[in-house]
Amino acid sequence: MPLELLQSLSEMQIVGELTVLSLLIGGIIMAGGVIVAKIAKLLFHKYYAPTLPKDTAQNLSKLIYFGIIVISFLGFTSSQGIDLSGIMVAGGIFAVVIGFATQSVVSNLISGVFLIFEKPAKHGDTIDLPDMGISGTLLDIGTFSSKIRKFDGTVIRIPNEKFFTSNIRSLTVSTVRRADAMVGISYKDDIENAISVIKNEILVTMPFVLHVPEPEFRVEELGDSSVNIQVLVWHPRDDWSQAQPILLSTIKRALDKEGIEIPFPQRVIWDAKN
Amino acid sequence: MSDSESVYSNYGVYEVNENLQLFLPNTEIKIDKIGENAFSYFRKDSEGKIIEKMIPVKSDEIKLELAPIRPLNHPARRTGHVFLKFDREIYLSKNSAASIFVHCPIEIGIFLLHGSNRESLDWVTCNPLNSRFGLYGSPDTGTLCKYAQVSLATDYNDSLPYVEGVMKIIIENTLSSGQTISKVIFPITDNSLYYEDSKTIIDGIKVTMKKRAVVNIVDVKTTSVETDWTASPTWEDTTVSASLEMGLD
Repeated sequence: MPLELLQSLSEMQIVGELTVLSLLIGGIIMAGGVIVAKIAKLLFHKYYAPTLPKDTAQNLSKLIYFGIIVISFLGFTSSQGIDLSGIMVAGGIFAVVIGFATQSVVSNLISGVFLIFEKPAKHGDTIDLPDMGISGTLLDIGTFSSKIRKFDGTVIRIPNEKFFTSNIRSLTVSTVRRADAMVGISYKDDIENAISVIKNEILVTMPFVLHVPEPEFRVEELGDSSVNIQVLVWHPRDDWSQAQPILLSTIKRALDKEGIEIPFPQRVIWDAKN
Repeated sequence: MSDSESVYSNYGVYEVNENLQLFLPNTEIKIDKIGENAFSYFRKDSEGKIIEKMIPVKSDEIKLELAPIRPLNHPARRTGHVFLKFDREIYLSKNSAASIFVHCPIEIGIFLLHGSNRESLDWVTCNPLNSRFGLYGSPDTGTLCKYAQVSLATDYNDSLPYVEGVMKIIIENTLSSGQTISKVIFPITDNSLYYEDSKTIIDGIKVTMKKRAVVNIVDVKTTSVETDWTASPTWEDTTVSASLEMGLD
């Protein structure tokens, strides 16, 4: 009975030599390919991906998945007796037409490939795109676009072409980072004493500030109302929150303790009649 | 040990049936039985930080071990390297060697004992001001280290209780000119610690200054201490930082 059914299916022609049976076999090959691709992807994620860098694992996973799908498609076409050489020629012409029509899509795709190979940043890196005013954690470099989680928790999708051609500032490549603050002291106060007081308070109360290199102080400006001093401190890369946000309050506390004045802008107006 | 130090609790194993109070410099630790099979743990450290934990147990008593650990966890675990800056420079003539004892900061671990297993319950530092970071090298490629200014010690018994252990450093200069040494940077993760009463010894290092091709290099290797003091459990905080993501300048 099954043999008879198969016989009848093989005799049911759809177009040319394409029969219902060959189409069924092709469908089974494609479905099998998709299932195998998904299983391979699943096994890869379970057993091998954890040992690889996140971005490498993701790219390899895509390669495995789409590689099996492409092989399945080739199996499908050969099972249907389709001559691919003819399709190649037609496809070439078609590709040119499509290429012109979908320039930006292709550009994003190519940029994505370049981003994968060049790796200007990897998954989990904190980056800043100054041209676009975007900063956050890189979540994914996809086929056509990349995703960044901004510091406010929202996720932004950037087309790969824009991402690839923009300046990328990595905030996680260096071992340490620098925080800075500007403070003004009055002209009557001793600059060296103020620096010494601030330095001591920073080193004692800010445990994440590096002792080597030491905090640096630069008299930046003799301003209208104050002598402006720039304070520069280094901290471990991941501890920005333990340095920059509390630096100014630490400086103010130090100056308050010693009675060093932080002057506010003031203007003396002389009355010409008097 | 001075009189002030003698009031502090020694390193070692403590059995707790009802309650226990451990005294460390600027640090207070209390363990109380709060139920049939539960103990409470309270710690106030030198920076005023308070930690409270509940410890459910199967038996009606617990065993704790107070022991020195490597100085890598305060204020947060960021590196496995230590940067010791000597309070005075050491000059070594060409083709000579010297061994010195130096103080090296330590932290103190509190471990729960289950048979031969030790599980970390807590850790403290009694001298947070000497537990800071330093960078060796440039900001982009340098090595982040725990940094401490240290003084030379006379021998293994010169340990500063609860604050600094003693380690032996063998320095060998195979170069054709004299060298001045003011600091040493090394990974401390292979160095074991040993304790007796309130004193600590740390495995030493051997520093060899040599020439490779046209470049002078320094080779640092760990050297084990032969001692009958008790070996400390090895432990470092491996929890992932939960700090805020970095903002921009």
